Amino acid sequence: MMAPFYKFGLFGEPASLIVAFVTGIGFGFFLERAGFGNARILAAQFYFRNLRVLKVMFTAIVTAMVGLYFLSRIGFVDLSLVYLVPTFLVPQVVGGIILGVGFVIGGYCPGTSCVAAATGRVDGMVYLLGMFAGLFGFAEAYPHLEGFAHSTAMGQITLPRLFDIPYGLVVFAVVVMALGAFVAAEWAETKFGDGSAAGGDSLLGGPWKLTPVRRFALVLGVLGLVAAVAGNPYRGSRVTMDTRELAIEAGRGADQVSSDQLADWIVQGTADFRLVDLRGEPKFAQYHIPSAQNVPLASLSPDFAARNEKIILYSGDGVQAAQAWFILKASGFSSVYLLRGGMEEWRRSILFPSEPKGATPAESIEFARRCAVSKFFGGTPQAGAGTRAPEQPKLAAPVLPTAPPPQPSAAPKPKPKREGC
Amino acid sequence: MIEFTTTRHNPMIDPALHLWGWEVAVYLFLGGLVAGLMIIAGVRLLVMRPKERQALVCCTIGPLLGLVLLSLGMGALFLDLENKRHVWRLYLTFQATSPMSWGSWILLLVYPALLANALTHLPEAIPALTKRIPLLVTWSDFILARTRLVVAIGFSNLAVGAGLGIYTGVLLGTLSAHPLWNSSLLGPLFLFSGLSAAAALLHGILVLTLPDEELPNFADFLLSTLSRWSESKPLDARIAPTLAQADNSFLTIELMLLGLFLIGHLTSTEAAQQGAYLLLGGPYTAAFWVFVVGMGIATPVLLQFLELRHRIRHTLVPAVLVLLGSLSLRFVMVYAGQASHWPIVLR
Amino acid sequence: MNPYWAGFGLGLVLLAAFVVMGRGLGASGAFGSVTATVLGKVAPAHAAHNAFFARYLGDGSASPLKDWLVFEVLGVFVGGLISGALANRLHVTVEKGPRISAAGRLVLAFVGGALMMIGANFALGCTSGQALTGGALLNVGSWAFMMCVFGGAYAFAWFMRREWL
Repeated sequence: MMAPFYKFGLFGEPASLIVAFVTGIGFGFFLERAGFGNARILAAQFYFRNLRVLKVMFTAIVTAMVGLYFLSRIGFVDLSLVYLVPTFLVPQVVGGIILGVGFVIGGYCPGTSCVAAATGRVDGMVYLLGMFAGLFGFAEAYPHLEGFAHSTAMGQITLPRLFDIPYGLVVFAVVVMALGAFVAAEWAETKFGDGSAAGGDSLLGGPWKLTPVRRFALVLGVLGLVAAVAGNPYRGSRVTMDTRELAIEAGRGADQVSSDQLADWIVQGTADFRLVDLRGEPKFAQYHIPSAQNVPLASLSPDFAARNEKIILYSGDGVQAAQAWFILKASGFSSVYLLRGGMEEWRRSILFPSEPKGATPAESIEFARRCAVSKFFGGTPQAGAGTRAPEQPKLAAPVLPTAPPPQPSAAPKPKPKREGC
Repeated sequence: MIEFTTTRHNPMIDPALHLWGWEVAVYLFLGGLVAGLMIIAGVRLLVMRPKERQALVCCTIGPLLGLVLLSLGMGALFLDLENKRHVWRLYLTFQATSPMSWGSWILLLVYPALLANALTHLPEAIPALTKRIPLLVTWSDFILARTRLVVAIGFSNLAVGAGLGIYTGVLLGTLSAHPLWNSSLLGPLFLFSGLSAAAALLHGILVLTLPDEELPNFADFLLSTLSRWSESKPLDARIAPTLAQADNSFLTIELMLLGLFLIGHLTSTEAAQQGAYLLLGGPYTAAFWVFVVGMGIATPVLLQFLELRHRIRHTLVPAVLVLLGSLSLRFVMVYAGQASHWPIVLR
Repeated sequence: MNPYWAGFGLGLVLLAAFVVMGRGLGASGAFGSVTATVLGKVAPAHAAHNAFFARYLGDGSASPLKDWLVFEVLGVFVGGLISGALANRLHVTVEKGPRISAAGRLVLAFVGGALMMIGANFALGCTSGQALTGGALLNVGSWAFMMCVFGGAYAFAWFMRREWL
């Protein structure tokens, strides 16, 4: 299990943009190869003259779908981490119809118009301008459309889950449907076609021989059939953990970070870890360790951080943190740590350190250092253990020192997720 | 420990340099481009053969364009200057250790050198102009009658062009406050980037100005002469356009220099490593690899390679991409360089 | 190129995007980023007030152009260019049927582009981001969308026959 590479943190965001560029080159290349830089070829689809659009699109869908299914099934890809555009059924139906009308009027879709413009089609360039105009118009009207655009939300949902059919079976159904559509398309081309689609390797035409295209269709069909019985591609239920190793690790305490250590890191501005507060929101709002992020245990999901990120968990007394530790370990996170003693220990030793009675000089120096650290985090050191008030001293909201230490390697703020198209 | 880190933000301790914007990047790009045009024009002038019309274009159109572009570049630089009224003071002194001083004097030499080169063959290149201004013919004849003068003009173009190209890189390279710029390779890198941009520009002009069927005849275009020098073979008019070939070699050299530049940084001090990291995973990674390497070098090299093999027609596309890539290189270097600092040392 | 092989290649690119990035291909989102950037420069106050653009502009800490889709679409241009150059298909022309003037075709292209973007923004994606990517992921909305695209286009094709046939 190591893919999707980006979600497992194999490379960062800057490198992902290079991946985007290279992926885009492949995308544009094959769009152009398919002839989609030409509006007449695209439009011929809607007059049954040349059904390339259908053939190319469904071949691509089936190829990627079958490939993704098997890569997930063998455990190479974590399918749950592949981004799924959430479904808003009615807006998407309406949008689809508008887009379809726009397709046959303009002759392109956004991706193909880029290819058309790049290969010198003036209509493609004008189409690009039209897209900017349409986008601007939509954005200006957005306040009035927002309600509709967010109606009938169904969340991130797939066909197998909606109909409660095994994933593999749906894969098989789509393969069969696509192959059927190809045959129907070729038949329609011989009936209504303008001859532009004739020639070349095809499923129907030519002598009855196992041509490469037919072989390809056969392989797809067989793979679809295998998928129908091969089972669930999601890995969720098949976690294997080396419990022995976990026990040894937990027993040695190697998975714990002391509050002193954490305080030191924060003071120094070492920001190579993600600090996670598992308590509820009210308590988080009351006080949290600076730079912590609030993830209540109930809303902990495995995609909130990259798998190889260093994560430090804490909760009130440490129990919830320990539970979260196990959940994250089970989800394949490699370096998860617990704050020893949780928030209580943090209060005791960092925020409100107290000087032991009759302290040795060394202990006094140590206490002075602790006082400085405590002030940094906005706490108040207690002069002597005996004078300590029975009640916990009050703390205002998270108080950060006025001049926070510079964080040279501070991780950039996670951008709001905007994936999809 | 804490005091130490906070004082870094004190401008007295860590001087914040005046932020360079697009003006400097544009100036460095145009400077490099003009340097390339000068070198190409100089070389072409030295080995000019009569009746090579395309060569005349490089020797006259190139320098004339160079005059305009350099003026634009100087304008951009002037916009960037803080004390615009004191610019003349640069020419009251010469500081041998200051690249700024070198640059301002080199710039002063560029104009006459370019002008002389353009004048030499102006009547043949643009007959329409000389009909209106007969004086141009007189000047041209004057120069052409003196072989030594022609050679001197050619060599001065070569020398000043090389100086200008290297200077645009050295200008950044001597600013030791920014570790990313601290490389002696920046001079040659910018020189070759400028050469490739110049070759692309001339190639583009030829593609634009001449009908399709004449294109294969560009064979002996510009730097054919360079290859003739190196290979000492007679020029074949049927071989592929040498301009694109030259452009490809320049781009390849540029790519190698970029590689050396990064390797040099990676094997150097921690500060330099962090500087290189800006381009290898840091915030400027995408811009560098996509715009400079991907679109500015790799794609045009591929397209020109195919053009040379007569697989595809000559188009304006590689030329435009090379020019944009060359401009992006300056932008990325100027901005990323200013983002690179000496690392903060704790404890 | 044989449509099946072109589709196979496209499918492999899509699969690679899934495996490497955990996301599919797209196109329309990039135009949102570009428009938001331009508007953010020209009329920052207006852009910040608009919920649609504000989503792209974020807190202003990073340029909306530093976006996966923007770079991907940049690659689409370059990829199309390379493929077109290799096949000698780089021509400055207007693609249209024989019965319509070039100017008429350009007007229709503009209208089509505008409609396309309105539809794509309702649907949270275009033919690449929704139909292709979501189709391969068996996304419910994507399949509904895809059927409606074909439905809408086929239903309206009769009115546009002068443009193409």
